[in-house]
Amino acid sequence: MNNLTTTHSILILGISGGLAQILAKKLFEQMPHCHILGVDAREVDHVFKHPRLTVKQLKYSRAQFEQLFLTHQFDSVYHLARMGHGRLIDSLEKRLRINILGTNHILNLCKRTEVKNLVIMSTFHVYGALADNPAFLSEDSPLRASIEYPELRDVVDMDQICQTWMWENKESIHTVILRPTNIIGPNVNNAITQFLSSPIALKPIDYNPAFQFIHEQDIASVLAKSLELPTGVYNVAREDDFLPLRDVFKIHRPVSIPFPLSITKVLKGRLSPAPEYLLNYLKFSCLISGKKLTEKLGDDFFQFNSEQSVEQLALK
Amino acid sequence: MKPSFEEKYRLLYERYEGKKDPWGLDIHACKKALKTLWPLYDKYFDVELYNQHNIQDKSYIVTSNHSGQIPIDAMLVGIAFAMEADNPRILRAMVERFLAKLPFLGELSAKLGAILGDRQNANYLLEHGESLLVFPEGVRGISKGTKDFYKLQTFPSGFVKIAAQTQTPILPIAVVGAEEFYPYVYNLKPLARLLNLPALPITPLFPLLGPLGAIPFPSPVDIYVGEEIAPPRSMNFDEIQEVKNKVENKIQELINHGLEKRRPLKQNIVKLMEQFQDTDE
Repeated sequence: MNNLTTTHSILILGISGGLAQILAKKLFEQMPHCHILGVDAREVDHVFKHPRLTVKQLKYSRAQFEQLFLTHQFDSVYHLARMGHGRLIDSLEKRLRINILGTNHILNLCKRTEVKNLVIMSTFHVYGALADNPAFLSEDSPLRASIEYPELRDVVDMDQICQTWMWENKESIHTVILRPTNIIGPNVNNAITQFLSSPIALKPIDYNPAFQFIHEQDIASVLAKSLELPTGVYNVAREDDFLPLRDVFKIHRPVSIPFPLSITKVLKGRLSPAPEYLLNYLKFSCLISGKKLTEKLGDDFFQFNSEQSVEQLALK
Repeated sequence: MKPSFEEKYRLLYERYEGKKDPWGLDIHACKKALKTLWPLYDKYFDVELYNQHNIQDKSYIVTSNHSGQIPIDAMLVGIAFAMEADNPRILRAMVERFLAKLPFLGELSAKLGAILGDRQNANYLLEHGESLLVFPEGVRGISKGTKDFYKLQTFPSGFVKIAAQTQTPILPIAVVGAEEFYPYVYNLKPLARLLNLPALPITPLFPLLGPLGAIPFPSPVDIYVGEEIAPPRSMNFDEIQEVKNKVENKIQELINHGLEKRRPLKQNIVKLMEQFQDTDE
């Protein structure tokens, strides 16, 4: 447990993202004496101003990370800089470099500089969307995302590297790995929000998997609370809370074009509503069990259920 | 007087309306399917359900013999539990992965209550008060040749382990009459292996007459419900085997009893022709 009254130095990697900024605000509320350094490789001019927040734009390279960690003594580090898989982002090579090599540097530096707490944001994508997925995958389920699409290798590798490292260093560093389900909210720009908010709404008609959503405010609250959770891996989703994909469209995009996902292969990716390696997530359910986390945080910790989260996005 | 379709469906509707299901069970889609299939159940296969007093209003692992080359028996047991039982339920049939992969069909089967055959899924449903329909014989049971009709194939013990884990009683069921959907069958196992198929049944009419040859005979079907069997108290191997053998023996006993009282195929054909003539007049 952290002492919330003494000065606490926090590093947030990926501060340019909407979620990281919500987290920073929550941390300021929760820890009146903390100081946050937020860094990002992307533009940081739009990041909100706060007397206890310092923001820096830096290249995600070994040298830059070293300089960052060696010139500051962080008590806690939030690694939210994993590159996502939306259509608009960069190449696989870049993702592998940042998500795997970058994460490795961060882990080593956390150990070297004796960071006390490390919170890593992974994703439920690690489990993979496969036709034989049972409902409500627990944290122990195999990570099968890259079985059909090697493009998702970085997602699985990063999670596994972090897990191995977490157990190796469990005596010295308190580490929490979060695997949230689809995060949505007005400030988040990830693959699922891009899909749901694309100018032409293509509604799959041949598959209708169940989807889970977590609101950006809720995941930010979980992140803030992570400093108090026991070391471990946690799925982040409400228990028994899901929506069929077509209901998501009913709420969010009532006017949409019916589209058979089965023809995307024939069209060789043209007209596809998402990159090919993410299409399975629109075909098959990848529901996760949030039981382990709910047991720690309580049933009423989450503010929004999946339906409310989608409604909030629709209001954007 | 027998309750009407709408009256029966109302009971089902009350049970399932508003319930969220991770696989997408849709009570309205079930109604459409039941309405469409009811004449097949009621007239064409003239299904009779015996000992329905054994079906209590609780969660079961309904365990049946499997026969008839195509899973019509599963459909008939499903309709019997949904429309004939005093405590109607939609039995959740456990299906193979390939079905979930198919566009449209995967969704349709899920809407009608099918779920992927996985122990975690089974546990979830039973913990949520649902009943499962399992055919432990699997493909070996359904694709039997004529010489093996009504001989139960050895059961694996997976369903008993699920029963033990969730402490759910097992309800043994025997379907008699489904083997005669295709009275003469030979399973071309070597060719099936070559084509990577689980089975390749041929009949005097199939594949000779193409899809027409695949239409099942209107064999009257009797469904016998046995008394529930208590689940094993632990996961102990001997206890699991004991319950498994008990279920196997009970189903074989029900089959033998049903065979003694079997209604002949000819009788149903005559009945159907008479009904057809009545409608004609």
